[in-house]
Amino acid sequence: MARESRPPDATPTRRASSAEPLPSIGRRSMLRTPGSQARGPPRPQGLSASGRKVAPPTPHARAAFRTIDSRRAAIFTPHRARRKSVREVRDSPRDFLLSLGRVLARSTEVITTSSSPSDEDKGPGSDGAGNDTTLGSISVDYDDDDEELPKRPRLSLPIGDEDDDDSDDIQPHRSVVFDDDNNFTLQSIEMPRRAISEQPGGRFSMGSTRMSDYFNNMNDMLHSEDIGVDSGFFPPTAVLDEGGITMGLDELPSPERLDSDDRRDFGRESDFGIEIPVGEINESTFMIAPQVEESPDRPVADDDQPMYDDYAPLVDQRSDDFDDEDLLGEVPALEDEPTEGRTAALQDETGFETATITRAEARGSMKRTIKVSKYGIEYPSLPPTVVKRLAQNFAKAGGIKGKITPDAMKSIMQASDWFFEQMGEDLQAYAKHAGRKTIDESDVLTLMKRQRQINPNTTPFALAQRHLPRELLQELRMPPPVIPKKRRKAQGGTDDDVT
Amino acid sequence: MAGQKLYPRATVKKIVKAHSNCNVSKNADVMMFLDYMLFMQTLMKEAAIEAKQGGERGITARSVKKATVDSLAKFRG
Repeated sequence: MARESRPPDATPTRRASSAEPLPSIGRRSMLRTPGSQARGPPRPQGLSASGRKVAPPTPHARAAFRTIDSRRAAIFTPHRARRKSVREVRDSPRDFLLSLGRVLARSTEVITTSSSPSDEDKGPGSDGAGNDTTLGSISVDYDDDDEELPKRPRLSLPIGDEDDDDSDDIQPHRSVVFDDDNNFTLQSIEMPRRAISEQPGGRFSMGSTRMSDYFNNMNDMLHSEDIGVDSGFFPPTAVLDEGGITMGLDELPSPERLDSDDRRDFGRESDFGIEIPVGEINESTFMIAPQVEESPDRPVADDDQPMYDDYAPLVDQRSDDFDDEDLLGEVPALEDEPTEGRTAALQDETGFETATITRAEARGSMKRTIKVSKYGIEYPSLPPTVVKRLAQNFAKAGGIKGKITPDAMKSIMQASDWFFEQMGEDLQAYAKHAGRKTIDESDVLTLMKRQRQINPNTTPFALAQRHLPRELLQELRMPPPVIPKKRRKAQGGTDDDVT
Repeated sequence: MAGQKLYPRATVKKIVKAHSNCNVSKNADVMMFLDYMLFMQTLMKEAAIEAKQGGERGITARSVKKATVDSLAKFRG
């Protein structure tokens, strides 16, 4: 109250200094005060603070706005470019500061914006002294003067408190404009952020460089973490590769597999425990089995097993399991060199395993050769052109543009051989179980069901339509005659139309 | 696909017949080859993933071998 009583004394002098602007401000305050005095002042302040869109009430205010705007523009223009380039970096620190300043300064800003920063600095003291013609101080004074005592205390209390707070808070805004004041306030503000981020100590004031540094560091940190995880993840596999030639290859896929999300999670966390990969290795070794199934591979695997001291027992157990299965079907798999092939086949009929073992080594050179199944029946392999066409189509579908290397084709051919061998065994089991000596379409369908290629949502016909040409589709539809014929006719018609 | 056969039907039949020691009914080989195509699809998909994980360009023998194990296990009847 005492302070407020003082300003009225000072006000008349101020009026004299700037006669015109004051009454306008006084009018505003008067107009706004009747609704709610407390509410009145913040509104104009908020507007001015946010956008400064409010028309400058006085020439002094205009000048202040111009100076501030020009300085801001000078300061912010480079940042704008940065914003455009990298928005995220820009946003965090300065925007925070600006937003903070705006939020904190809202109530006080009217004063600050109206008066030039230098005036404001003097302002808080000027209330008592009534030194200068700052519009904000004047406006406040007028409000106080015009409005009677009960009103003043309301205004004065928030305003006075706010002014003190604002002077601190506001300075940063202006401090952005003015270097001297800003440094102190900014430094005080910045320090905690740096500490939190734990990033390189604040070398410079708010400089945008920091922001970039922050961001880069953050990215680096993230990447480094990822890399670290990956590195932790990969090394065991690499070790495995080093350890075992073929086995390593076999074992590698299991940890990296997409199917096993759990494995991946463990693998990433596995920085701590190498043991986890061992568990995976168990599975992987289990997975190895199909390759082991090949008669030629077995001896190689056996040879390799001693190589792995740790893994040997696991492999052995599973190899034993597979050996049982192997006795059933795998022995005959690949009879190699064509010249030797027939003689070898004869030998195989007598003694399969010995021949296969000896030939396993030579198998690598095998290309188009006559192979003998475990039943001693010669069989050809699919023509490489067919396999290659399929492989390339699916590789393109998989998003790989490059060609398939000859080595890859070899392994693909081998995989297809194994697949047919496996499929033959399975189909035989199904047919025999059904009491037939002929493999039927139903057997293949059950096989595909068990392979989960067919489910209620995917019918074999849908698959066939997707993958097979029309002629084969027609063949397929023979078993269920009625519906397929209709489809066939319709498709035939479309085909004719298309072709 | 147009002028070319998708696959030699007789060959597929022979292969399966040799492995199963059973006869193969007339049109069963179509379904078999369809199954084979699905297998190749998964194999190449897995191989592509392996290749990408390994940072390889294109599909290599290594990626295929890795994928083979999984794909064969997946197509175990």
